Amino acid sequence: MSNKSVLDVLTHSPGTSIGVFLVAIHLLSALFGFLFVPYGPTELAGVSLLAPGSPGFSLGTDVIGRDYLTRLVLGGRTSIFVAMLGVMIAVVSGGLIGVSAAYIGGFYDDVIMRLVDIKLSIPGILFVALCVVGFGRSIPVLTIVIAINYMPGALRIIRSQAMTQVPLDYVKSARLRGDSKLSVIVRELCPNVLEVVVVEFAIRTSSAILAVSALSFLGLGISPPTPDWGLMVYEGIQQIYFAPWLVLFPAFLISTLVIGLNFATDGLANALGLDAARGLD
Amino acid sequence: MLIAILRRVGLSLIIICLVAVLVFLATEVLPGDALDVFLTSDDLMTMEAEDIEALRHEYGLDKPAVERFWQWFSGVVVGDFGVTFIDKTPVSDVIWDPLLNSLLLATVITLIAIPVALAIGILTGYYRGRKADSMVSSLAIIGYSIPDFVIGTLLIMFFAVWIPIFPALILVFADASVLELLKVSLMPAVTVIIGHVAHLSRLLRVGFIEAMNCEFVERARLSGIPEKRIVFRHALPASVIPSLNSMALFIGNLLSGLIVIEKVFGYPGLGLQLLEAVDKREVHVVQAVTFLGAVLVIGMNLLADLAIIILDPRVRSHKHE
Amino acid sequence: MYSEKKNFEKNQINQPASGITRRNFAIGAGAGFVSLSLSNLLFSSLSMAAQPKKGGKLVYAGSYLNSKHKSLKNAKHPYYGIEIRTRNTYNALTWVDEELNVVPEIATDWESNQGQDVWEVTIREDVKFHDGRPLTVEDVIASYNLHKDKKLGTSFVKKLVDKIEKVSTNKVRFFLKSPSSEFAWNLAEYRQAIMPAAPLDEMGFLGIGSGPYKFAKIDVGRRVIYEANEDYWGKGPYLDTLECVNLPGTNPLNGYLSGQFDVLAAVDPSLINQLSATPNTKIDIAKAGDQIMMVLPKYEGSPFMDKRVRQALTLALDREAIIRIVFGGKTGWASNDTHMAPFNEDFLAKEPRNIPKAKQLLAEAGFENGITLPTFYYAPYVPEITRVLSVAAESVKEAGITMKIEERPMAGYRKWRVENKEKTTKHRFAMGPVGPRNPAMNLFRMARPTYNESGYWHPSAEGDRYIELYEKAMRTGDPIARRNIYHDMQRILQNDVPAIFLTGRRETIAFRSNVHGLKAHSQHWSLRFNEVWKS
Repeated sequence: MSNKSVLDVLTHSPGTSIGVFLVAIHLLSALFGFLFVPYGPTELAGVSLLAPGSPGFSLGTDVIGRDYLTRLVLGGRTSIFVAMLGVMIAVVSGGLIGVSAAYIGGFYDDVIMRLVDIKLSIPGILFVALCVVGFGRSIPVLTIVIAINYMPGALRIIRSQAMTQVPLDYVKSARLRGDSKLSVIVRELCPNVLEVVVVEFAIRTSSAILAVSALSFLGLGISPPTPDWGLMVYEGIQQIYFAPWLVLFPAFLISTLVIGLNFATDGLANALGLDAARGLD
Repeated sequence: MLIAILRRVGLSLIIICLVAVLVFLATEVLPGDALDVFLTSDDLMTMEAEDIEALRHEYGLDKPAVERFWQWFSGVVVGDFGVTFIDKTPVSDVIWDPLLNSLLLATVITLIAIPVALAIGILTGYYRGRKADSMVSSLAIIGYSIPDFVIGTLLIMFFAVWIPIFPALILVFADASVLELLKVSLMPAVTVIIGHVAHLSRLLRVGFIEAMNCEFVERARLSGIPEKRIVFRHALPASVIPSLNSMALFIGNLLSGLIVIEKVFGYPGLGLQLLEAVDKREVHVVQAVTFLGAVLVIGMNLLADLAIIILDPRVRSHKHE
Repeated sequence: MYSEKKNFEKNQINQPASGITRRNFAIGAGAGFVSLSLSNLLFSSLSMAAQPKKGGKLVYAGSYLNSKHKSLKNAKHPYYGIEIRTRNTYNALTWVDEELNVVPEIATDWESNQGQDVWEVTIREDVKFHDGRPLTVEDVIASYNLHKDKKLGTSFVKKLVDKIEKVSTNKVRFFLKSPSSEFAWNLAEYRQAIMPAAPLDEMGFLGIGSGPYKFAKIDVGRRVIYEANEDYWGKGPYLDTLECVNLPGTNPLNGYLSGQFDVLAAVDPSLINQLSATPNTKIDIAKAGDQIMMVLPKYEGSPFMDKRVRQALTLALDREAIIRIVFGGKTGWASNDTHMAPFNEDFLAKEPRNIPKAKQLLAEAGFENGITLPTFYYAPYVPEITRVLSVAAESVKEAGITMKIEERPMAGYRKWRVENKEKTTKHRFAMGPVGPRNPAMNLFRMARPTYNESGYWHPSAEGDRYIELYEKAMRTGDPIARRNIYHDMQRILQNDVPAIFLTGRRETIAFRSNVHGLKAHSQHWSLRFNEVWKS
């Protein structure tokens, strides 16, 4: 992709620009926010439940007196990391398996697709609950949970994209050249499904961020005292009638991030001519 | 065609069996069993290791995994989900009411969500690229981007506490009548719909745009068929097809996917039952709920496949010619 | 209103030790009961305005679920019922009142032999079960045969009671396996309901007790509706219908503010200020409540094997900060590293926070540059636990201690603290809540006969000495002599620090101002609703 086309994609429509802007702000704050926050994330800096605008605490304090601005700035890091890494693992491994299934076909393809069917028919929450109850709420566990949850769907869509490529000439000629299966899959097919993989990554990341926050709400996600928006909403819900900002601020941040991701993804898919990717499988 | 259908049904049955095996294996990996959860620290304080082993033996928790699996599975085949470990209640008693309640909520949601999604999908698809499209599409995306539990909490705050129209928490008995449940299930249903209508409507929009670009629509237009008729009789059925499988998955997943909403509103559904069963290591309940969920998803998929055959646009367009 | 009784006990305790026999004490309890009813009579005749009104329905929420609760089949059983507050439908022989005195319930009087291992209990003869049958000594005996049954019974009784026999039509005799000088408190425990005699494996399932309310309708795991027992032997009940709601995971505040609930029976401490500012809402705060305990896992390679590390950790914890920040200074209390609560007259305050000393101890143990402890896992048993541990973790940083915490799901959590498949004493972490009781029951929790499961002790001379002292206290009928032993036991715990106790909560209830006669109870399971009425 040339530089020009990247810029084209990013400014495909006003919606896309807004989306890209939101995502960029969120990513920057997740990456570098820690340099600018006034307090430590778990530091008991002030009096409990200060309202926004209090001196020294521009967004107030939470229920045990931690600076809310600090926690809000740092509260996206963990879930963004878990969601992105988990989905990355899902689409990369799902992509490789999907492409290989499409190319090799036959019994291998059948087995893979039946496994996908099985996973898709088991309630997603079951896997999450089993993993978390069994292995705890650590970040590696959550990342793997996200990866397992999103892999089968991505696999299915990438496979069907790869299926459209397999009968094409360049694949045939590679096979006739005597390239190994691995080489055809990695060198020929993968680059040609990359766009779908990117779109899948974007779509699923936005959904994964919502999923992580929902897990935190259910007590199965990121563990306290790590600042996390989903968790902050959960902790704030008790106070919603008396200190509604404790819920509204983190909810606003989750929503803007997911809205940004969705708008950006939309533009991305449109620009790549993959509008229908969502609906095909 | 009959062979194709039979093949699909057979495949579905095999998948269901494999689901059962997989879920059993997954629950086996977990540390601890039902007894570990059942005993309180007071109990442990006064028990020796031998007492615990004796109890484990009595509850049949020390049997080999294969034996336990076979015992359970051979029951399921004849519709018997077994009993819970600790107090020997039939699993079907445990899950029956939550299952019905979840089905009811899922039905309410489906009955509202599908027409709303259709309307939005057609509207945005028909006026694609115009203001109405971008406005409605954006609103739908925003709805989808706010976490369910935030929407639910805000709805409770507005419509139960500040303007008391609806009950804040759902205080109906798990075995309440349909009418009673319907009365209280509107807010949870609306919460889910706000969160999920965007996804469905986008699928429909894509399908609708594709259908409107189809040759048969073009031909219908040229032959002077009124626009309304083209939209509703020709494009609409065709647009539904590509999203039928996704819709089926959506409905199938409602059963367990409503868990967050069940928690916010206290709705007596299957999701919470599943989570509790995992917590308490009641493997038989976990298996039964998962099994039913899988049957539902697979069943809905089967229905979608059949519907696709019936609604196939090419068949229809041939008829019109 | 129980002040007379309390003074009586105090006076008695302050008498020279030689003058007291167990018999006097038992009569004292009986006398307390008489004065209690007298004061109630006085109270009601003096204030006509506060005359209880009959009728109405009260809904309370935010209860403590019974982890043993499973199904409709056992939902009425005192062991397995939806909530551990069994007093709505059942009576036990004794009750622990809001002031933490043991008072009569079905029993009117109790006394022991010199050795504290044979107890005679006299019972009321005017009590009827919900089905109209009179409650007799046979029912008491049958109930205790269930409670002590090796397979079906309940832990405290199984451990303690050997045999129970009839003495007369209103008197039974308990033979204990080992002496127990505070046996009357054991009799008040929430599972030890008195039920109509029946074959043991059938008892309890019908939900027939002698309590102020009868089971009317049950929604498994969510809700119970009780109706008034018009033939109740004691005061009340005044309400026609009492309802307990417990929707797992929901915010009961929504239900309260929208008018669905009259009472929030377990209030999150962070809400107390706001709730007291809510119109028409009253708050009642008990003397004490559950406290949060950290078990320090002791296994080869654990830093907690070193006593100095344990001592340093407890010295570094800022309990005052926890009480100030988490409990608003009002609803928490500082623990003393034992299961004792400050309302126990034998409570021995512990050494205050001391950062230099903590650092010095750590340096002696070889951690002069600070120490990172293994992760503490905990489950959300009480709403404020995350906050308590967060403040605790911040406060120990000052002494160079890094204490990581991680929340685990509620029930799946147990396995993280009990790890004895191979009969080892390895524990991977953690904490649990413990309820406040009388000294004997409190201190029993650390007097485990075997060094397993809980991880309190690693085999040590201190542990053996502690158990020895406990056994001695149980043989000692004289409360003064017992108090000295209890002090010695607490000193052992405070010096050896087998486990750390952070802070306790004070049980808090919030209710509408038209609800009367409801008082918060330090033992949340002992809350009674029989005298509650609505205006």
